[in-house]
Amino acid sequence: MTDAVQQMPGRGSAHPRLSGTVRHVILIAICFVMIYPILWMLSGSLRPASELFGGDAGLIPSQVTVEAYPKGWFGLQINFGQFFLNSLVIAVLATIGNVLAASLVAYAFARLQFWGRSFWFALMLGTLMLPYHVTLIPQYVLFRSLDWVNTWWPLILPKYFAVDAFFIFLMVQFFRGIPKELDEAARMDGCSAWRIYWKIILPLSMPVLATAAIFSFIWTWEDFFGPLIYISEMRNYTVQLGLRSFIDSSGTSSWNELFAMSVLSLVPIFLIFLFFQRLLIEGIATTGMKR
Amino acid sequence: MGAIRRNGAGYMFLAPWLIGFFCLTLGPALASLYLSFTRFDLLNAPEFIGAQNYVRMVTADPKFLASMKVTLIYVVLSVPLKLAFALAVAMVLNRGMRGLPIYRAIFYLPSLLGTSVAIAVLWRQLFAADGMVNGILAQFGIIGPSWISNPNYSIYTLVVLSVWQFGSPMIIFLAGLRQIPTDMYEAASLDGASPSRQFWRITLPLLSPVIFFNLVIQVIEAFKAFTPAFVISGGSGGPINSTLFYTLYLYQEGFSYFRMGYASALAWVLVAIIAVFTAISFLTTKYWVHYDD
Repeated sequence: MTDAVQQMPGRGSAHPRLSGTVRHVILIAICFVMIYPILWMLSGSLRPASELFGGDAGLIPSQVTVEAYPKGWFGLQINFGQFFLNSLVIAVLATIGNVLAASLVAYAFARLQFWGRSFWFALMLGTLMLPYHVTLIPQYVLFRSLDWVNTWWPLILPKYFAVDAFFIFLMVQFFRGIPKELDEAARMDGCSAWRIYWKIILPLSMPVLATAAIFSFIWTWEDFFGPLIYISEMRNYTVQLGLRSFIDSSGTSSWNELFAMSVLSLVPIFLIFLFFQRLLIEGIATTGMKR
Repeated sequence: MGAIRRNGAGYMFLAPWLIGFFCLTLGPALASLYLSFTRFDLLNAPEFIGAQNYVRMVTADPKFLASMKVTLIYVVLSVPLKLAFALAVAMVLNRGMRGLPIYRAIFYLPSLLGTSVAIAVLWRQLFAADGMVNGILAQFGIIGPSWISNPNYSIYTLVVLSVWQFGSPMIIFLAGLRQIPTDMYEAASLDGASPSRQFWRITLPLLSPVIFFNLVIQVIEAFKAFTPAFVISGGSGGPINSTLFYTLYLYQEGFSYFRMGYASALAWVLVAIIAVFTAISFLTTKYWVHYDD
């Protein structure tokens, strides 16, 4: 690659080595600027409470302490352990729902012949663009009439009905790439549609199922609007709501605790990112993701 | 296999989505369309009032106009800046350079963390009167304002937050750039075309479908932005409505004042705005989006 470039006089990168170095310098500088705020938050969470902001933009605390973590953890009437547990349960159940429902529906769209298929498919794509605000209030009225306000049902149950068309679309794209001969052979052998879905399509689709699961988990974990509307009692709070309450209850005196809890709330996402970033990036590159 | 059995299997697998579509999407959407013509406080039955909610928006609701203005400023500033930055970085990253996966991952990280409350908390402190940004400015002898609590600046802190999350459009640009055949550039440079000319004549036209896609997605997302404005302003949209995003105003009307008929009308106006924007984008594609013949 570089050899080919080197032989090209007059090209933008006629001096590949120089421009390569310049590129790295530019990129490292941008990386640094982008990551700096996060590092600053991490460093802030390790400072003593007495060390007020005072415009200290540096990363090195005068004195490193982890006192903010236990203090923040128990900073509200209910501790953050409960919030983390709540968030985890909601995110796991929502993820299972999303993956299960979206894969069933995507299998129908990608593989089964039935009357009205392209009509439903077009409708499904149409809902991709629809802002959720338009269903928000009637859904709230519905869940309220079922007495589900201040429970987790409104946050979990809709996922079992594949309301997020994005995941269906993602999986349809993948399923279409699986050779059709496989299901045809299985059908010859007398396999039912259900068996083909379960024994052939799903096992071959692990990458896309994992991608959907990861995005589903992260988006549910980060969701703020849903819990804000539906959850009122603190014992049912998610981490995001816990953080919001923490801002309100703590003055500027305990900003280090606020930072500590903020850092902790990002840890699960960061770990997922660390282990699965290739899947995430491929997912975006192939489908064009919203976020 | 019989047609009935075949249809039966198809609809069995489709069933979760069909139920969800009718009960959680189409039904509620139609219900909110009806509610938008009513006065509804959740406790009493909706009372039909014709188009009054819509009339009130444009004639007697300065907060609606304020939120519209804030949101439009946010969309118009943040989307082009974010896309320009995403494209610029993607072009620097392009062509299999060493360390690309690492750079790409680091640039993508803010997009992934971006919508969580923790990042909004961080932003509040970055741009606070005694925050990090002013700390850096102080090194140069500049005394910065309190960015968050100054209505002249607060919206720009949110624009910066949005641009900071340029990672996901960047990844889509990278995938698009990879589709452009290198021999086009080689031929162009043999003809003596300068790099900037190559950019305008090759890169931009060939990338235009990807730019179009990113533009539509990012504009819709920008109209729907909520969490950062909510957390940074403490739910108020302040100071002086300067961060009153449209969705934040909708939330206040619906869930703070329980004017749910009005909030439904706001939701439908949002749909209309997004629909008009999308339609315009699609209708103008023939003038600026280049598809392979």
